[in-house]
Amino acid sequence: MLFKENIARIVFLSASILSAVATLLILGFMILLSLPVLETGMIWGILTDPWSPDHGRFGILAMIVGTVYISSFSLLISFPISLGCSFFIQIIHPDSPGRFLKLLVQLMTAIPTVIYGFVGVFLLVPIVRKVFSYGSGMSILSASLMLAILISPTMILFFSQSFARVPKRFLDATEALGATSFQKLFYVILPNAWTGVFTGLVLAFGRAMGDTLIALMISGNSVVLPSSILDSARTLTAHIAMIIAADFDSIEFKTIFICGGVLYIMTSCGILLARFSVKKRVR
Amino acid sequence: MENNIKIQIRNLWFYYKTISMLEGINVDFPENTITSITGPSGQGKSSFLMTMNRLWQCIDGASVKGEVKINFGNGFEDINHQKYPLPMLRRKVGMVFQTPNPLPMSIFKNIAFPFKLIGEKNQNKTFEKVEYALKKAFLWQEVKNRLTEDAGVLSGGQQQRLCIARALVLEPQVLLLDEPTSSLDEISAEMIEQLLLKLKKKCTIILVSHYMDQVKRIADTKFILSNRQLTLQEE
Ligand SMILES: Nc1ncnc2c1ncn2[C@@H]1O[C@H](COP(=O)(O)OP(=O)(O)OP(=O)(O)O)[C@@H](O)[C@H]1O
Ligand SMILES: [Mg+2]
Repeated sequence: MLFKENIARIVFLSASILSAVATLLILGFMILLSLPVLETGMIWGILTDPWSPDHGRFGILAMIVGTVYISSFSLLISFPISLGCSFFIQIIHPDSPGRFLKLLVQLMTAIPTVIYGFVGVFLLVPIVRKVFSYGSGMSILSASLMLAILISPTMILFFSQSFARVPKRFLDATEALGATSFQKLFYVILPNAWTGVFTGLVLAFGRAMGDTLIALMISGNSVVLPSSILDSARTLTAHIAMIIAADFDSIEFKTIFICGGVLYIMTSCGILLARFSVKKRVR
Repeated sequence: MENNIKIQIRNLWFYYKTISMLEGINVDFPENTITSITGPSGQGKSSFLMTMNRLWQCIDGASVKGEVKINFGNGFEDINHQKYPLPMLRRKVGMVFQTPNPLPMSIFKNIAFPFKLIGEKNQNKTFEKVEYALKKAFLWQEVKNRLTEDAGVLSGGQQQRLCIARALVLEPQVLLLDEPTSSLDEISAEMIEQLLLKLKKKCTIILVSHYMDQVKRIADTKFILSNRQLTLQEE
């Protein structure tokens, strides 16, 4: 018995050390790859300049802004929708309609991203172009909407799982006191399912930040600083993909490691910030 | 004195999936009385209580047939009818569960929770009512200095009284009590009995209990639930 327990402990310990080391190694690797550019002292220019290789300027500010816009809008859209869906699945209709919706959502997670991209290009983009009659329709708005659909299933499954873990006696007590469904959601379920909701949010955020294909296919990939959500934009990930596909051993090529580093820092900051604010809130 | 009928149950059937727990119950519960329901374990007493505030809807697989009509002052209304608004029903029919179920919040917030649900903004009024309810449930002396502590740290018996206070705070017309004194010592149990005797002046009380002497002391009408039927217990 003791022997078994010790083995389990060693396995878990090595697994956690391994993942911690992997995270740090990747960070070190990113820094190492960016060193050539960092040494030239171009870093400030890269972070603030426009992107115009013909004029010797390799700034990625527009891509940083594009990434922030697209991922935060997609979260903003999908968070309330996911919350509503999970509430429907777990609380309002835990019977057949809820189960059916959950099955649909599970199927959605299995659809390859490129399919979402197609739907974006051939359905969503034309609609956005028609409705707003502005530009090509390839825009921050289109990409955010599509990305919202892509990341919702993750959130819905996480949220509904954490809703299901709220003890039944709390729900019964609330129900018997005459709470409406919404009161139940806001006063009892959310406060008790907060950690699960948070985890789902973090995962979705990571997925939104890290997704390449959707942005590449439907955000228009413009390198100009966007001024509205109907403008086209390019994300850091899409930028990396485009440069890597076209080039190697040029200054352009070297700057993509800076992009990677920035992406790494942005996601880490986002997660730490969220974590910090949740801790404060819980207290 | 003949009391008015408060709850009228006609041909009530209760099922878990396809298994029937109650088969064609017909009964009237008069106003301002304590009606007791006793009977062997697992015969459906708790389930029966849940037909009177439609709480059975929260149980996966449970279904009900028949009529449960309650007169809240505007004549008899079928509370199992889909259109009958649930929040209103549950404010008028209070319930104390067999196992105490305080919510994961402070002692004060637990009792004030029903006020929060009805949107009561007046803090002073809420505080007064909370204090009043806690006093009625004989819990005030023990918790008055720790109202902000989590209700989960209370002892089993204290939690039971907390739940009684919470059920009383909105002054329901009907009170469903599922073994409300099961974790209490004799003296506390007797205090709760005194409380129930006082409450019945304003309230219709259905009491599930397996203490025969308690039932003898306070119940006006006594029923036994067994074999899916409710039978009147003669003196
Ligand atoms: N959610 C459920 N699903 C299926 N069967 C259930 C469910 N809840 C209760 N039952 C069954 O219904 C029967 C009646 O349960 P109930 O809790 O109403 O009995 P009770 O008379 O209150 O018993 P006790 O005196 O032990 O509290 C039991 O046989 C129980 O197993
Ligand atoms: Mg019971």
